[in-house]
Amino acid sequence: MTEAMSSIESPNRSGGPPRGRATRVRRQRVRAAWLFLSPMLIGLALVAGWPLLRTLWFSFTDAELNDLAAARWIGFENYLLYEDGIWYGVLADPDWWNAVGNTLYFTAVSVSLEVVLGVIVALVLNAKFRGRTLVRAAMLIPWAIPTVVSAQMWAWMLNDQFGILNHALMVLGVLDAPLAWTADANLSMWAVIMVDVWKTTPFVALLVLAALQMLPSDCYEAAEVDGIHPVRVFFRVTLPLITPALLVAVIFRVLDGLRIFDLVYVLTSNSASTMTMSVYARQQLVEFQDVGYGSAASTLLFLVISLIAVIYLYLGRRQLGVSR
Amino acid sequence: MSTPVDIDQSRQGLGGVLLTLLAYAVALLMFFPLFWMLLTAFKTEQTAVSLVPQLFFTPTLDSFREAMAQGSTYNHYAWNSLVTAVGSTLIGLVLTIPAAYAMAFYPNKRTDFTLVWMVSTKFIPAVGVLIPIFLVYRSLGLLDTRFGLLMLYTAMNLPIMVWMVYSYFRDIPKDIIEAADIDGAGVLQTMVRVILPLALPGLASTALLVTILAWNESFWSIMVTNHEASTLAAFIASFRSAEGLYWAKLSAGSVLAVAPIVVLGWCAQRQMVRGLTFGAVK
Repeated sequence: MTEAMSSIESPNRSGGPPRGRATRVRRQRVRAAWLFLSPMLIGLALVAGWPLLRTLWFSFTDAELNDLAAARWIGFENYLLYEDGIWYGVLADPDWWNAVGNTLYFTAVSVSLEVVLGVIVALVLNAKFRGRTLVRAAMLIPWAIPTVVSAQMWAWMLNDQFGILNHALMVLGVLDAPLAWTADANLSMWAVIMVDVWKTTPFVALLVLAALQMLPSDCYEAAEVDGIHPVRVFFRVTLPLITPALLVAVIFRVLDGLRIFDLVYVLTSNSASTMTMSVYARQQLVEFQDVGYGSAASTLLFLVISLIAVIYLYLGRRQLGVSR
Repeated sequence: MSTPVDIDQSRQGLGGVLLTLLAYAVALLMFFPLFWMLLTAFKTEQTAVSLVPQLFFTPTLDSFREAMAQGSTYNHYAWNSLVTAVGSTLIGLVLTIPAAYAMAFYPNKRTDFTLVWMVSTKFIPAVGVLIPIFLVYRSLGLLDTRFGLLMLYTAMNLPIMVWMVYSYFRDIPKDIIEAADIDGAGVLQTMVRVILPLALPGLASTALLVTILAWNESFWSIMVTNHEASTLAAFIASFRSAEGLYWAKLSAGSVLAVAPIVVLGWCAQRQMVRGLTFGAVK
């Protein structure tokens, strides 16, 4: 408490009320500040912190959903166990590693595409043209609507028999026969990526657009006077200046991508070719009712996300600091 | 706002036209899926699945009627969505305003840590806390209740809310607080009389954003509710299994679920960027 008090910024160093009163007021402020903060902290700890710890505990037991009271402590057996010459546990499960691979692949590809397309779209939207306001509003639609709805919408458009996409591609002569976008193992991941790119490119674009609008216009004027090619101006001037905003966009998209669940689940259900870590964990927990094993997978998922977030923040700390 | 590309554009006639066309094409691409859904919603089930997709047809309201008629389910789910989204926003504001106030105006050594910790709760995958929350809800009788879902949405949105409100509070000059201090106003008085009116636009956009996020949430709605407290998002997700392939009806239901939120989203576009990046971009 004293420590907290001493670090409180003194509201008035000079010419304030008498010292005695100032201290009393300050103490009152500090108490009020903690009082104000605690309901939120307690609420968040109860809903986010405690369940996570409980999941961690479950991951060390053989708990099953229908009889949790019978759960025994089994140590790391859910994670990895060597018995009679065979490896067991999540870390030895090829399905888990498949899910990890899918998730990383999905995240890497979709975030890269979203960043490149997002920058291009932002540059276009930054220009002046007729109906700009309307176009910007239209851009926002994909992420203002619920993921389940857009997933259903795309499932309908990607439908192998009646979908508009197959029809359009066949009319254009790109395809000879309709493709089963969401069912074909080779295509379903790309279908998921396509929908995700459609849905979140606007998010990246709006972020970049906000950064573009804050750029000083004088360096552009100077570049134009010097007759430097616009492409070079983009790479030498614009890109470095919008990098902080891009890094923010990337970290948010990466965290979302690693946790992706609803889009994959609605579009392709439990299919192995698109199964992500979240879908894998849910399947173990809910469908197989194996709480211990599923909790181990959930814990690993949380660790992977935290690890990537920490590495990213560490590497990008200088750039991210600029954006504050 | 004068931007570099503006200058380019006024000079290059052809480039400008091409750029405009590109912008329209992008907008069309973004808008098309919604447009197609809207179109499908006005079709009969037969026209919807005709082998050559129909662009021109006689529109019908049958699908809307059917989607809404199933024992007035639509109203039931819409009411649930409204109650949980608005309710969680209000409770969230009550928790958020004092917390953000304390951190913005009386920061201490732990403030930065608290802010980062709040963001870190966003690393938690929903499946990672599913079972513990499910169990607690079962024992408390909160499963399939609007109140239970509402509390989850409140917690889900708290980090974003605190960050957003915090960033709005930080824009308020500290002198104002000092002036109120000198005038002898209490903490509560300062907050309610001085800070809240100043931050009202920011608070309104925060509320708008989290209402949209809660309205669009589907994972928890599917997992902890069954019918009694299910929201529109869960209703749409359930279409696949329950209704088979009634595309026109599904589209009509989706249009109904999306309409209110698209309108709200248009009003809040700028604030959404700020909120979703925890105030990093203004």
